[in-house]
Amino acid sequence: MTSLPLPRTERTWTGVMAVVLALAPLFVLESTTYLRLYNQFLIFALLAIGLNIAFGHTDQLFLFMGALAGGAAYVMAVLSQDVLGISPWLLIPVGMAASGVLGALVSWVSAKRNLGVILISILTLNLQLALTEAYVGLRSITGGSTGYSFGGLGLDSIGSMLGVNRFAVLSYLLILFVVLAQLVYVRLIAGKYGLAFEAIREDDLAAASIGIDVVRYKTVAGFLAAALIGLGGIMMAEFQGTVLPGDYGFAAIDVMVLIMLIVGGIRTTFGPVVGAAVVFAIEELLSPVGQWETAIFGALLIVLFLYFREGMMPVLSDAIDRLRDGNEPPSAGTSDGHP
Amino acid sequence: MVATNTLIAVGIDGIAYGMFLALLGVGITLVFGLGEVLNLAIGMFAILGTLMAHYLSTAVGLGSVPAFILGVGLVGVLGVAVDRTLLSLVYRSDGEERILLGIFVTLGLSILLEGTLTNFFPSRYSLSLGLPRVNVIGITIPGSSLLVIAVSAVVLVALFAFLRGTFLGKAARTVFQDEVGALLIGVDPRRIRAIVFVLATIVAGIAGVVYGTSATLGVTSGFQFTIFALIVSIVGGIRSIEGTAIAGILLGIVATYANFFIGAYLASIILFMTAVIILLVRPVVGE
Repeated sequence: MTSLPLPRTERTWTGVMAVVLALAPLFVLESTTYLRLYNQFLIFALLAIGLNIAFGHTDQLFLFMGALAGGAAYVMAVLSQDVLGISPWLLIPVGMAASGVLGALVSWVSAKRNLGVILISILTLNLQLALTEAYVGLRSITGGSTGYSFGGLGLDSIGSMLGVNRFAVLSYLLILFVVLAQLVYVRLIAGKYGLAFEAIREDDLAAASIGIDVVRYKTVAGFLAAALIGLGGIMMAEFQGTVLPGDYGFAAIDVMVLIMLIVGGIRTTFGPVVGAAVVFAIEELLSPVGQWETAIFGALLIVLFLYFREGMMPVLSDAIDRLRDGNEPPSAGTSDGHP
Repeated sequence: MVATNTLIAVGIDGIAYGMFLALLGVGITLVFGLGEVLNLAIGMFAILGTLMAHYLSTAVGLGSVPAFILGVGLVGVLGVAVDRTLLSLVYRSDGEERILLGIFVTLGLSILLEGTLTNFFPSRYSLSLGLPRVNVIGITIPGSSLLVIAVSAVVLVALFAFLRGTFLGKAARTVFQDEVGALLIGVDPRRIRAIVFVLATIVAGIAGVVYGTSATLGVTSGFQFTIFALIVSIVGGIRSIEGTAIAGILLGIVATYANFFIGAYLASIILFMTAVIILLVRPVVGE
């Protein structure tokens, strides 16, 4: 059994992460290009945190993240602009709830039917493809493949008050969401849910036999994961200023988020954020090679998965441990060795 | 009301598409059954076949038949290379880890192939042989559809004959059922896996070349084929070869009819939702 994260250290590190995340955009305030890149990184970090809960901790390989994210964005934007005519801020929770309920439903059915990781992935992949077609096909509601124009959360007016552009404001809103998501994650995994997830992952039959309600725990994980993914989707709509089906496709979302989670380190607290940062950095480094970018990315993926399966986090935490141990030998009992 | 003749003609197109999907699906099923590697690059192998055959027959100037055979051969060579390198590494791990590693490595391979091929083949290509439309009792059928059906049927039958009749095929089915048992009677699972993986890529290559004679295909079609093949394989029962073949043909027919009657969007939605429902209602027989 892997050691569970200790909530206090993890919260401290979340604080460190928040500071680092908040300082980074200050260096690129003038560059819209970098701010946009930073926004995308944070959006994908949110999505990867969601996938870490579903896939990492409860073995539910959600391959309909794009559809969940897009669904939440459509619910939020369409309800706000065409149906209720109220502020989109009020509808962010509604959009998250919509994708959360869909995620919970899929988890509940899969757990009831006792589907394994492959069948869940194929089931959700089919849902993804069906929903994506629906988003494009329901032209009268969603605007079809040309997209549904979203008026935005009004971040540009906040930006002009502060003298920065809206992508800078969005960066800080996203940092807030990422940090909150991390705190929810730490609370979840360090508590009884984390213990139950671990027991179910080891042996679901044994877990059930000691009274763990497997279906309920998987459903809760599915709900939380999907709600976070929905939030990522809503933020994507805010970022783009439109809800575009192409932004929520399998290749654009699911493949990328999966790669980020593995690269960062599955089942680690900071793996999703680190993975998202690394993948965006790699993409940025590869952009000079232009047309070969996709091919190199594919090759890189193979190498990473074959030789670097544990992801970055174990390597990073070992390095940090070594640094700390070198400075002050940890006294027995308080040592956790797991930043 | 649509004329019966048209209905039959559309149905035959559907069967052609279905048999193409069946070939790919059987490839996924065989490789998964033997080594628990879900080959997510299978659609790309098919497209590679189409593109190689197109290149050899237009740029190199070979005749259609040698170009097609050489194209399939090149796909087989790539299959051997992938088996010797990537899959050897994947087979080192086992259990759930191998399943996931197999998914990720073949997904990476698919992206690598897509990214590479796009640079050389940016457009959509057809291997049209200019086969005439055939008129059977008043029903006009494209000759290319009949070719797809004929070749696919021959390949499927040959595949079944290989698995049922030859020593290698029987050895493969032994590994399918019980890996330890196979080892005990002197069958080397790794060797069988290598042979079957290469066989599956060759079948995919043939499928790509043959289907290319009746359709216009581009690099992006590859991933779509993978997804359909995956659906066919899983819906047909990931360990059942016959089930996969039948599921492929049914899916092709349903997809083509739905496309014809209600348009592409709704047809796709119905198709994917049908797959979801089948996955949920069918009896769970392990994984």
